Amino acid sequence: MNRFTTRLRTSLASKVITSTVLFSLGVVWLTGSALYSQLSDGVKEVNLESSLAEAQSSFFSAQYQFLLTESAATPVITKAVQEVIISSTEVSLSQDRKSIFLNRFGRPFKNTLKVATPDYSTSTDGLDVSSFPDEIRKKVRSSDLVEYEYAKVRYQDREDANVLIIGRKIVIPKSGNYEMYLVYSLNNQNRTLSIITNALSFTGFALIFLIGLITWLVVRQVVKPVREAASIAQKFTQGDFSQRMKVESSDEIATLGRAFNDMALSLESQISRLENLSRVQQRFVSDVSHELRTPLTTLRMASEVIYGQRDSFDPTIARSSELLVAQLDRFERLLEDLLEVSRFDAEVAILEPVDFDLISLIERCIEDVRTSSHDHVISITIDHEVEQVMISADMRRVERIMRNLLSNALDHAEEKPINVTVISTRTEVAVGVRDYGAGIEPAALSRVFDRFWRADPSRSRVRGGTGLGLSIALEDARLHNGELDAWGLPGEGAHFVLTLPRIAGQQIGGRPIRLQPENYPQNI
Amino acid sequence: MTLVMVVDDDQDLAEMLGIVLTGAGIDVDLVSRGDEVLEVFRNNPPDLILLDVMLPGLDGIEVCKLIRAESMVPIVMLSAKGDTHDVVRGLEAGADDYMVKPFRHPSELIARIRTRLRRTNADVLGLLSIGDLSIDVTGHEVSRGEKKIALTRLEFDLLVALAKEPGRVFTRDALLGEVWGYRHSTDTRLVNVHVQRLRSKVEHDPEHPEIVMTVRGVGYKAGVMGGS
Repeated sequence: MNRFTTRLRTSLASKVITSTVLFSLGVVWLTGSALYSQLSDGVKEVNLESSLAEAQSSFFSAQYQFLLTESAATPVITKAVQEVIISSTEVSLSQDRKSIFLNRFGRPFKNTLKVATPDYSTSTDGLDVSSFPDEIRKKVRSSDLVEYEYAKVRYQDREDANVLIIGRKIVIPKSGNYEMYLVYSLNNQNRTLSIITNALSFTGFALIFLIGLITWLVVRQVVKPVREAASIAQKFTQGDFSQRMKVESSDEIATLGRAFNDMALSLESQISRLENLSRVQQRFVSDVSHELRTPLTTLRMASEVIYGQRDSFDPTIARSSELLVAQLDRFERLLEDLLEVSRFDAEVAILEPVDFDLISLIERCIEDVRTSSHDHVISITIDHEVEQVMISADMRRVERIMRNLLSNALDHAEEKPINVTVISTRTEVAVGVRDYGAGIEPAALSRVFDRFWRADPSRSRVRGGTGLGLSIALEDARLHNGELDAWGLPGEGAHFVLTLPRIAGQQIGGRPIRLQPENYPQNI
Repeated sequence: MTLVMVVDDDQDLAEMLGIVLTGAGIDVDLVSRGDEVLEVFRNNPPDLILLDVMLPGLDGIEVCKLIRAESMVPIVMLSAKGDTHDVVRGLEAGADDYMVKPFRHPSELIARIRTRLRRTNADVLGLLSIGDLSIDVTGHEVSRGEKKIALTRLEFDLLVALAKEPGRVFTRDALLGEVWGYRHSTDTRLVNVHVQRLRSKVEHDPEHPEIVMTVRGVGYKAGVMGGS
């Protein structure tokens, strides 16, 4: 039932077929009932008329017989009564059985002889007289006309039956007044009626079935293209733009198909145009980056040669050479980062996982960041539960993430210590980098991973980062199917948590390190 | 005096490389076209070749293959592309090492060149064996029975590094330090490609190595004598 209602809700065909069948059921029911009542009325009327006519003649012949024997002797009358009974219960071929019920009522006639007045009251077929309705008997007794009534009577040796009772008052000479009833079985009539009922209901059901079938066929013609369109649209969503609808005629469905195909064509061409555009753009960025490398190499070497000789220069030129080298460094980092970003944008960044120990990698990164930083005073501590955490990941990328997180923390640490935590579970590993420096405004949290975004534009750049570091770190983490989250409060520092699957590419099931540090309420 | 052939189509960079190398006491032969390399190489064989990937005339990778076909001279590729694909292609063509432009420091370039020219295993002398191979370190020869196997200097160094400490498992980082002279490098592609090349020369069946064994998740080690 549940499945049926679901089908009704989801399938247009089922909906249309169900409502059509329900409506036609109503119509067939109404017309069928009307037809049946007319037919049965007709049958009953014909039956009644013929029965009445026959009964009429039976009564008439009985009266005539008794009239003839008015002055005859009792045995003759008795014989006449018997004949009347026999002839009245005689059935024609087309008739069902017929019973007779004869009953004397009122006072018997006076007899001149010294013998008892004979009583011819009788009934045939084991008819149970007590089941006769009183109404017709009263009517018969009080009138001289033929009376009739439909009733249900009992028989002693067979089932109760619906019958037509036709009665009349009759006088039997030397006996008394009698009510004479002819009881017509309605079996035949009922059989006819049930045949009509069967025929009508069969026709009705066949009609409904056919209507349902036709509706289904018609609906299918309409629904099929719709379904086809839906399935093609689905394929479009999955990125397959090669599918088209079949257009075989020139009706509305074909119009739908053509419109759909036109839409598909225009979508496909626009998407391929956009793809091409982005490819061209990506290619351009990549080419520019590559083309810049050769002159940059020459520049770097030249600057290094000059820098190597700076002791022999006058102080301003020596300082200039230092600035030149430093700025070339920065320029190069920017170029590298731009190239990396363009790879992510073009979705050509490739993951090259190897097995390595994350702890020793982090320790190495801390060492490198510490030696290359000018803030030797800042202490970086690392907490880890186990000595070694083997993971399968792209070492170059994980190293880059760690360097970015650490140098970002150093940039904002304001000479306060930095704490690195490593927690691993069976399926994932998390690294938290916590500083207690300037922190991040809550509103800025969502933007820390944006490209070239700076927490405070007025703040001087201590380290001269490229502004792409965190954004690249996030892309690197996501390439592993990992995540990088940031938390911060102004004046309370920041917490960056990197969560990676132990095996790159698998899903991360949870976050072993809570982003929000323990001593801060959750709702801030 | 050491002679290094610098093959680069960028005149300024080539000149700058010349200045830096000459400053380090190395003679330089400048070539600007890929299709001229082989001729210059034959006339005046250098001790090392610095080879740019993108060259007019003949692609650097092709040049590398041609030189490898007739010499085991150390080749260091210069590439403007850091993409794995190009690096691996260069290494597979027979380059011993590669440097991605722009170099961090000119001194880095010189250090790399010196590493490739130096005998990295100067401390080891005499005969070593690995699996069913015997290595004559002094004579710079590797043979299986009577059959000599030709290896590049780098491949030889790699094999000796493994053979001189049988049983030790070398991480890729350790090999990078030992053979290439890198300190903080995580470039495992270099090791992977060269191990593949070495295996293709010394193994009976490179698919089931018996000389240079892989230790899953860690690195490589020397195969046991005569064992599988």
